[in-house]
Amino acid sequence: MASIIHKGNSKMTDLKQMLLSGFDDININIPEDNRMVVSTKKESVLSILIYLKKFGYNHFALVSCNDWIDDNEFELIYIVSAYQKNDEQYQDIEKSSIIVKTRISREKAKFITIIDIFENAEPYEREIHEMFGINFEGHPRLTPLMLERNYKIPPFRKDFDTNKYVENTFGKIPSIKERKEGNK
Amino acid sequence: MDRNKISKWLKNPGKMAHKYSFHVVYFCTGCGIIEIPPSITARWDAERFGIIPVATPRQANLFLITGYVSTKTLKAIIRTYEQMPDPKYTVALGSCPINGGMYYDSYNTITSLDKYIPVDGYIAGCMPRPEAIFIGVTHLWKLIDMDKADGYKRYREDYVHYRANQEQLFGELEWPPLFIKEIVK
Amino acid sequence: MQISEFILSPLLALIIGIFFLGLARKIMARIHWRYGPPITQPVIDIIRMFSQKAISHGSIFNFGLIFSLTGSIVVILFLPIGKMCPLSSGGLLVILYLMLLAPLGIALSSGEAANPNSSIGVSRKFLLALGYEVPFLLILLAVMTYYHTISLIEIVRIQANTGWSFGSLPLVLSGIAYFLILPAILGMRPFEISGAAQEISSGPKVEFGGKFLAFSTIQHALHEFIGIALFVNLFLGGWDLFGVLEPISNTVWGTILGIIIFLIKMLIIFIIELFINAVFPRFRIEQAMKYLWKWPTLLSFIGLLIVVLFN
Repeated sequence: MASIIHKGNSKMTDLKQMLLSGFDDININIPEDNRMVVSTKKESVLSILIYLKKFGYNHFALVSCNDWIDDNEFELIYIVSAYQKNDEQYQDIEKSSIIVKTRISREKAKFITIIDIFENAEPYEREIHEMFGINFEGHPRLTPLMLERNYKIPPFRKDFDTNKYVENTFGKIPSIKERKEGNK
Repeated sequence: MDRNKISKWLKNPGKMAHKYSFHVVYFCTGCGIIEIPPSITARWDAERFGIIPVATPRQANLFLITGYVSTKTLKAIIRTYEQMPDPKYTVALGSCPINGGMYYDSYNTITSLDKYIPVDGYIAGCMPRPEAIFIGVTHLWKLIDMDKADGYKRYREDYVHYRANQEQLFGELEWPPLFIKEIVK
Repeated sequence: MQISEFILSPLLALIIGIFFLGLARKIMARIHWRYGPPITQPVIDIIRMFSQKAISHGSIFNFGLIFSLTGSIVVILFLPIGKMCPLSSGGLLVILYLMLLAPLGIALSSGEAANPNSSIGVSRKFLLALGYEVPFLLILLAVMTYYHTISLIEIVRIQANTGWSFGSLPLVLSGIAYFLILPAILGMRPFEISGAAQEISSGPKVEFGGKFLAFSTIQHALHEFIGIALFVNLFLGGWDLFGVLEPISNTVWGTILGIIIFLIKMLIIFIIELFINAVFPRFRIEQAMKYLWKWPTLLSFIGLLIVVLFN
């Protein structure tokens, strides 16, 4: 399907100007119509999200994480979107979403929670804590969400060797025939 | 099908009845569950063979394990399997219960189901189509005829080893052993 | 003759009940445009259930099931099948009283099973029984007042002389009311509330396995037989076919043909109920109670009023 990329959406460019003038050390990119990518340092993420929420982007889609093991950093990705204004839905052509990216260090993996701004970030941060090991300060309940066993390294990190783990845990259990022959 | 041979019925009615009346536990987990509703509804009709799903394991005698088994699901599978009355049969669908399949290097799925509960037969595929499921059922009939589908007997005899495997995987189990005499001896 | 009727009547009810179960699955399958199991499938199921070693939850668990099965068999002894009726003293009042033994036995068993699904199923079963007992009582009162008797054999004999109940004016309303509550008595959709497999894991039968399930299936078959046989006896003339059997009514051939005509009438009513079962979804219990206490109660009440006033 051919898509014509308009980079001249006026609302997005206004927002870009306002963000560039309000925050420093920020990098904004509009790849296609109604999409914007904002990369900042980790200290200004909270204020950017509060600003965007007041501007109309009040739907929090998700928070996710990437593991850049060569740079020794984790990258947190927040996606917020706007699809209605004053209880009235936008047309499809006007719905837009913004990605906010930031990087944190890998050794001391901790960040602040955004539950005070967007309440529905609680299970996403719980999953990131369980799978990557990032500690979110201020989160009320950082208990395991899906996993039941104890892993020495959180399983989604890139230095978690899955083949070795499978061999040590599941491969070492003998089959019934081997157990019966071993007993004799 | 030898459903109409009266002499076979008179010789061993229990075995013939077990073949032609499979009540399947509706334990829906894994990828293969998407193949079960087409098999039991109007297009590929499984009720002609006497297969019908029931709601509880106490009323069932066939356990279909449809796809990969994660460690959390394995606990539920073991408890469900132990609630079914004897004689019972287990059939595993797909390649994941045989050797791990597509998830052979996952941190959360087991690689071989036969170490934890006895499996009578495997149906290969990822996922097998309803025609393959029916051919598998006819093979299970032949196994029952030859008295080779004895998973439940193996579970009773070797329960010590099955329980040891389960405890090696999970640590302490919450439910007591099923056959206490075999362990205490 | 009498002792043979004691054995023949429940045996015939068992065979016909199990045949109806198999017929139900076959006809439902054909309505769904598929082939379906053979008609002897319930027999295969029951043989398989008897060969499984099920666990029991205690002695009341065993006793409750036997209690309900015995209740159903005793009700069949009081019902005339064709001209065969082993016990006839007490008639409709005794049948009305003994029909509630079957749910009571199942309630005893499922209380001992200690499964919340079975408790929910049993409470819904009793609520449904409360729902259909009110119009059921009014219908039976209307019939008993119209014929001035409580004996079922007398009612069938009077219908053979003066025409079926369904054709006489005051009782046609009671007949329609009975037809409206018949799915609730049989446990078929839209009133398949207590034995629902998808909602409460088959209700009271959730802990039954092996031989308990076999007895439960047999009890369900007998209970269906009782519901339809009462309807045919009260409103459709029993063994009578517009007086065709008058010349040979006292011979053995007359008895056998009477039984066959009775069973054919039961088959027609059962197939109509199956068509309703194939189309409807399930009611919730409060919707079922609202329905059962509205139109069938109203119709049977008007029928009773007409019978009393124009007596």
